[in-house]
Amino acid sequence: MKKPVFYLLSSLLFLLPALMLAVKSFTPVWKWGEPLSFDWTLRGWEVFLMDSRIYEALLLSILIALTVTFLNLFVGILAGKALSHSDFKGKGLLETFLLLPLFIPTMAAALGLHITMIRLGLANQWLGVVIVHLVPTIPYTIKVMKAGYDRVGSGIIEQAKVLGGGSFHVFRSIELPLLMPSVRSAVFLTVTISMSQYVLTAVIGGGNVITLPIIYYPFLQSVNDTVMAAFSIAFALLPVIAVAVVELLSKLLTYKGTLVNRGVT
Amino acid sequence: MKWHLNKRTTALLVPAFFFLLLVLYSLVMSFVESVKGPNGWTLSYYRDLFLEERLYASFGYSLSITLISTALSIVIGWALIRSFHTLIENSLGKWILWIPMLFPHFVWGYFVLLLLGQSGVLSSFLYSIGLLESRNQFPVIVQDKEGLGIIITYLWKEIPFVVLMLLPVYAQLPKQYGEVIHVLGGTKRDYFKTIEWPWVQPVLVEVFLIVTAFIFTAYEVPALLGVQYPQMTAVLAYDWFYGISWDERSYAFALLFMISIVMSLFALLSFLLLNRRRWLISKSQHQR
Repeated sequence: MKKPVFYLLSSLLFLLPALMLAVKSFTPVWKWGEPLSFDWTLRGWEVFLMDSRIYEALLLSILIALTVTFLNLFVGILAGKALSHSDFKGKGLLETFLLLPLFIPTMAAALGLHITMIRLGLANQWLGVVIVHLVPTIPYTIKVMKAGYDRVGSGIIEQAKVLGGGSFHVFRSIELPLLMPSVRSAVFLTVTISMSQYVLTAVIGGGNVITLPIIYYPFLQSVNDTVMAAFSIAFALLPVIAVAVVELLSKLLTYKGTLVNRGVT
Repeated sequence: MKWHLNKRTTALLVPAFFFLLLVLYSLVMSFVESVKGPNGWTLSYYRDLFLEERLYASFGYSLSITLISTALSIVIGWALIRSFHTLIENSLGKWILWIPMLFPHFVWGYFVLLLLGQSGVLSSFLYSIGLLESRNQFPVIVQDKEGLGIIITYLWKEIPFVVLMLLPVYAQLPKQYGEVIHVLGGTKRDYFKTIEWPWVQPVLVEVFLIVTAFIFTAYEVPALLGVQYPQMTAVLAYDWFYGISWDERSYAFALLFMISIVMSLFALLSFLLLNRRRWLISKSQHQR
């Protein structure tokens, strides 16, 4: 009884909207009052992929999102390990402080950094946008990575150290493979959040850093729902692609012949 | 147990410290900008800010939208996970709930507009089957004065967020304690009081704070689905920041700084009150 209710409810509320956008991206513009037309067309995707402005924005958004992601993983993995595997005075307070950026308006951070960015020459630059995108993402990544290290435990790492493994070697062969589920979640969250930033990008990018949201946002009222739907679906595909890229990179970084390959995990 | 930060741990935390410095610095700069007048430091912008009618309209409007959206998201999300957590734990259920998380808030806002706007798909559909005579008969639920469209968008996005935040807690609830209670003749109420609530409460508080802070100060959705007046806080701050006069620019900083301080204190206090219990739970987790 529970099962059908759950799947019906969740499909109706969460799967159907995505499907509707997907279908919409392949059907002509629906004019009000006319029956919905299902003459399949690639027009929406053509406009989306052929427009050089959109194409450049797509590349820039990916560049920004991936840079933000790697900085996130760097900060998050180190801090997550420290918070999970060691105990020190004030740890609880530090953890709380690291969550605090989630409770302040991100706009306060963006506007506060604006003048400094201008002075440092980072305003209107993609790197400046990367820095401000760190504010709403890093707290999540630290949280996710700490939970990851909690799950892995310190025993297996100490064991490897006792057996004479160097820190980086242990990281590549043991920590990273075991942390992959957390890394995936962190990448997913970070890329999605980075792709969702209109106002932070607009303020710091100053109309010079054209990412996808900067193009998408003013067109939201547009009548061409076919192009808009294709655009919308693209937003959802990017985090999925990003996870795939990171997966690939971690495969390259992971020491060959690890636990995973032997099927121990 | 080490009670002082050793070198190794400190080294691991250095990047995180830099991040905190960045955020702190941005707040300090917001404050500096809010007290910098043409003739030196002044607190007059804060005083004048409270004379602005737009501020009160914005606060009332933002607060009601935020509290309604947050409360409903948490109640519905919590109810969902309580009834279905075994189903959500398997991968298919989890993937369905991840779908809305994939889309940025403004994309979901666009979808709500496309579906529920006066010229939207639903209204068009109702017209074509003869239930409406013109699009004006379709109720204004998006870009309306009450912010209904904003609330719908937020509910749609935040309910899955609440569920996914609570999921690990429900997956880890110590089920054997439930058996103990059952054997000793306890009721479902006892189970809730002694096991479920202590585990869930810290996460509920955290989710409540995150969602409240986010909705109260987010720009994208209300800028898209709101009206000219009243405006939610972020939209007002944005307008002021790019406003013509210097005063308005200072108002933007003062407004955002005030919200930052209030929200941080609120969050800090909640966590301090919760921390002790959370510490006890983490200890008991280690011993299992």
